[in-house]
Amino acid sequence: MKNFKVLTSFLSVFALALFMGCDKDAESGTISLSFDHKVGTETLELENKAYQSLAGHPFYIYRLKYYVSEIELYQADGTSISFENIHYRDIADENTRMLDLGEIPAGDYNRLTFTFGLEEDINIDGGLPNTQTNVNMEWPIPGDQGYHYMKFEGKYDLNGTGELKNFNLHTGATGGNQNYVEISLPISAMNVDGNNLSLLLEMDLMEWLQNPNTYDFEEFGAMIMMNQNAQTILKENGQTVFSVADVISN
Amino acid sequence: MNRYNLLIIGIIMLCSLLACQKDKPINPSVDPPIEAPYSPTPYNLELPDNFLLPDIPADNPLTVEGVDLGKRLFYDPILSGDNTQSCATCHQQAFSFTDPDQFSLGIDGLRGTRNAMQITNIMWTQHLFWDGRAIGLEQQALEPVENPIEMHETWVNAIEELTANKDYPTLFYKAFGSKNITKELAAKAIAQFERILISKDTKYDKTIAAGSGLFFTDEELNGFDIFNTERGDCFHCHGSILFTDNSFHNNGLDSTFMDIGLAMISGKENDTGKFKTPTLRNIALTAPYMHDGRFQTLEEVIDFYSEGLQNSNTIDPLMKNVHKGGIQLTAAEKSDLLAFLHTLTDTTFTTNPEFSTPF
Ligand code: HEC
Ligand code: HEC
Repeated sequence: MKNFKVLTSFLSVFALALFMGCDKDAESGTISLSFDHKVGTETLELENKAYQSLAGHPFYIYRLKYYVSEIELYQADGTSISFENIHYRDIADENTRMLDLGEIPAGDYNRLTFTFGLEEDINIDGGLPNTQTNVNMEWPIPGDQGYHYMKFEGKYDLNGTGELKNFNLHTGATGGNQNYVEISLPISAMNVDGNNLSLLLEMDLMEWLQNPNTYDFEEFGAMIMMNQNAQTILKENGQTVFSVADVISN
Repeated sequence: MNRYNLLIIGIIMLCSLLACQKDKPINPSVDPPIEAPYSPTPYNLELPDNFLLPDIPADNPLTVEGVDLGKRLFYDPILSGDNTQSCATCHQQAFSFTDPDQFSLGIDGLRGTRNAMQITNIMWTQHLFWDGRAIGLEQQALEPVENPIEMHETWVNAIEELTANKDYPTLFYKAFGSKNITKELAAKAIAQFERILISKDTKYDKTIAAGSGLFFTDEELNGFDIFNTERGDCFHCHGSILFTDNSFHNNGLDSTFMDIGLAMISGKENDTGKFKTPTLRNIALTAPYMHDGRFQTLEEVIDFYSEGLQNSNTIDPLMKNVHKGGIQLTAAEKSDLLAFLHTLTDTTFTTNPEFSTPF
């Protein structure tokens, strides 16, 4: 009798497990983002490769570093999940390419939003942990606290003579303007059900210089950290620099 | 007197004996037996809030005993071929742990081609030397001992001498739990000492501290603005509380290169003429300047950034005014910038007995 009792309870647990297995809800999955770069239709190659800007200058790219924050993923029904991560990307450091966001609930996701740069609450002195990377991104102009959102640096050929001048596209808050860029990207059919997803993001560096505003290195000169006109242009151009190049599920 | 009382007296005697050992750790007559439990005391490093987070390798935590041993090794000529030179010969505290000589003299009377570097807030520097050839302080510390133009010793010899010394086996035991002295342990100890060499008490630090009630002079303040805005644009490389980005740049000293710097290590042509950004803390004390000590004074350095820049393929994009020869400062701006650089002098650091010779 006792044995029988044990057996039944064992069987019922087993049956319950089976039942749950059959009629299960969709399962959560994991997601990561990766940050890659191109220049118009061309691949990004540092220092040695000349690109042609819409403003008419051949240019070379030496450095690119930036922050992405306030990452949020939306489902078709409007529900969303947001992440605390602040991602620092340096194209010279392969370890900064991927951002693992961990688990996300099951569902059909169709939109990714994030902030290019840092928002007011974080973009203050000491807003980020004092690591070497973060302190190197600090924006030390008195009165304008916080961090560089982007350091995009290189050289351009003023009149096609081979004589190079330097450019520093540094973005950040200045004169009370926050200047971060809110990015919203459609994702086609991303279904989460127990799978591991990677969203491959791509930044087109040419977009900083041409869409919708033509950015002329010569016009603004190399120093734009306190130049709100230049910051405004870059903020507007920044809307279209990112796209989702691919969604990989496995 | 019963046995119990005897025991208590014994314990008291042992304690007082131990207490006096603590005061005189290297008195051979009170050497603790090897069997004494190895229990190093964690070293409490105090950093201001606006400093970087401590960066200490997990396999070499700071201990009081490790730092003490490291300090001794740093100052002890025992590590050199003829026992005449220590690390401190070329890294002198009064000069923020650098050498006023343009090219330091090794034990064999030879000189190199690079100026000695200061050891200040070095904890955060991962790539050591002007060209970054050593990764981490533990690796770096192995080099000068065997360098033929520096201490010109072999580690085998040095270890023999340390092992035969009356004090070192005990000190290594206290620091690392082993009397078996190795070069790796010696390097670990030296690295621990170097990590506590923190400069944080300059006029700059004191003035920017919240509620300090201290002020910069007008000249210093103008200099601060030149330094920290794109007017002078020093901060992009010599930024943050460390006054260095701990990275490598060609700041426009030359257009052709005798010493190719980082490129020698990375093998990349694009790294030609790149050198590590030095910290500007205590910069008024560390003349001569640049990797080859070519400038004798800070005035010369400022003139160079103002109108002496040389263009080249690898000059850093941050040197935005190279096409104009430099940032073109007026005479007044130059002296303001100089005044600001003088606020980075930390005499607390250069006189701190904790960092001074134990001999
Ligand atoms: C003969 C002079 C001399 C002696 C002795 C010497 N050094 Fe140096 N040190 C130099 C020079 C010169 C450099 C820069 C060399 C280069 O970059 O090629 C240097 C660089 C360094 C650096 C790199 C700092 C940085 O910012 O990257 C450290 C750390 C250092 N030495 C520690 C030591 C230690 C520890 C010892 C003793 C074991 C020692 N040195 C002995 C001359 C010396
Ligand atoms: C692009 C980065 C960069 C910028 C911008 C820059 N520096 Fe430097 N600085 C360096 C590097 C790299 C060195 C070492 C160069 C060498 O020795 O080859 C250096 C060396 C120095 C030295 C000598 C330090 C020593 O211990 O020998 C001083 C002083 C100095 N810089 C001050 C300044 C000032 C003042 C400014 C602004 C006017 C400035 N720097 C702007 C990168 C930079």
